[in-house]
Amino acid sequence: MAAHSHRARLHDVDETLDAIEECYRHGWTDGLPVVPPTLERVEAMLDYVSLPPEQVLGEVPVRRRALTAEHAAANAVMAGCLPEYFPVVLATMDAMFQHDPNCIHEASAATNSPGILILVNGPIRQEIGLNSTGNLFSPGHRANATIGRAIRLILINVFEQRPNVLDRGCMGSLTKFGVCVGEDEEQSPWEPFHVSRGFDAGQSTVTVATIQDPEMLGNRYGVTAESLMDATADAMASHGLGIYLNDAPWFWVVGHWHAEMLGRQGWNRRSIQEYVYENSWRTRAQMKRLGAVNGAVEPADEDTRVPAAPSPESILIFKGGGDSGIYSELLMNYHGLPAITIPIRDSWEGFRAEGH
Amino acid sequence: MTAVTAPEHSTRKIQLVDPTGADPGPNPLTLADRPADIRGKRLALLDNSKANSDIILRAIGDLLNDEFEFAEISYFKKHSSSLPPKPEIIEELHRHADLIITGIGD
Repeated sequence: MAAHSHRARLHDVDETLDAIEECYRHGWTDGLPVVPPTLERVEAMLDYVSLPPEQVLGEVPVRRRALTAEHAAANAVMAGCLPEYFPVVLATMDAMFQHDPNCIHEASAATNSPGILILVNGPIRQEIGLNSTGNLFSPGHRANATIGRAIRLILINVFEQRPNVLDRGCMGSLTKFGVCVGEDEEQSPWEPFHVSRGFDAGQSTVTVATIQDPEMLGNRYGVTAESLMDATADAMASHGLGIYLNDAPWFWVVGHWHAEMLGRQGWNRRSIQEYVYENSWRTRAQMKRLGAVNGAVEPADEDTRVPAAPSPESILIFKGGGDSGIYSELLMNYHGLPAITIPIRDSWEGFRAEGH
Repeated sequence: MTAVTAPEHSTRKIQLVDPTGADPGPNPLTLADRPADIRGKRLALLDNSKANSDIILRAIGDLLNDEFEFAEISYFKKHSSSLPPKPEIIEELHRHADLIITGIGD
């Protein structure tokens, strides 16, 4: 492909407010105002990672659309990212391209409206001010809010996943505004999530996954780890999230006081995973009666257990959230993008994501 | 009488970088010619893996077969409803089918 064909078009406008309205007119926003992607701001983003604008980062074959560094930078600018956030945006796209570029279409087009979770581990969390404690999933932190938003804007603008066109979400999801969080490694009773996946503690990583809407876990009065884990298992086997029973991994974002109790009572990641896996199930007959599994109830269904997770290790555990209350959060990792963990590169020079 | 002129515009023009995606170039794929007549041809049913796709596709295949007496009806299933078929399925379709029906009954 000729390099010149990848250069973005330029639009001349009067500055600031007119430019914001111009972005709306083009349909480039997620509904909220964006920072106008001026040439200077886009260049600053590209300079930070030393990428030339026309560098192709990846393609989505089913959409026949390519993502260049310039497009990624323009969308990151619009989302409100600072240049130092850009490596997290690029690493997130890298994870998707490495898994299967077509997952970008798959994850967006699905009628059950999955969002994209970006879990960040390692020192970059402090370097960019990424929140990992109180109000973990709330607005209020620039890095969290704008990195997740940049990914959604890339999906909308570069890969045309516009609501009700190619994005066929039925109920939609607040997660589509973007979900980027850090793990509270410093106050966790366990090794950091990325270390549990074989990375050095000093290596910054992203873990990227398609997720259904989070569900708050409100076991506030249990005094044993078993009470807490039973409550999580119960939520996993519920009807709402459990519509893909036995098929999807899970994230248990263990809140501060839940983590404290589990750690104090001697539970580690592995023993928690095994306990929750064993105790999170419904009978096939129950799932059929609730309309979560297709087909009429057969006699054998009454005694057939359907586990909520495919395996103990598919229940992914990381520590996050504040200490103001006693809560956790549960997220189902829907099809499209399983939880992929990759390093955030120090150098992006010559980068091009390679699908398998 | 002098003409009224617009006040001097105090803002400068700025340039916005278009954030929409690039076309990766000419499509390497071409469509097969449509058969002039489907009578006696080889039909393939491609199930996209959504619930009930198999039921509706097989029913359509049977109905059409009554009228067009296909030489062969074959059945394939995608591994995911929202991803393209795997290359080996495409290859099988290419070798075994003159026409393909796909759809969902969800």
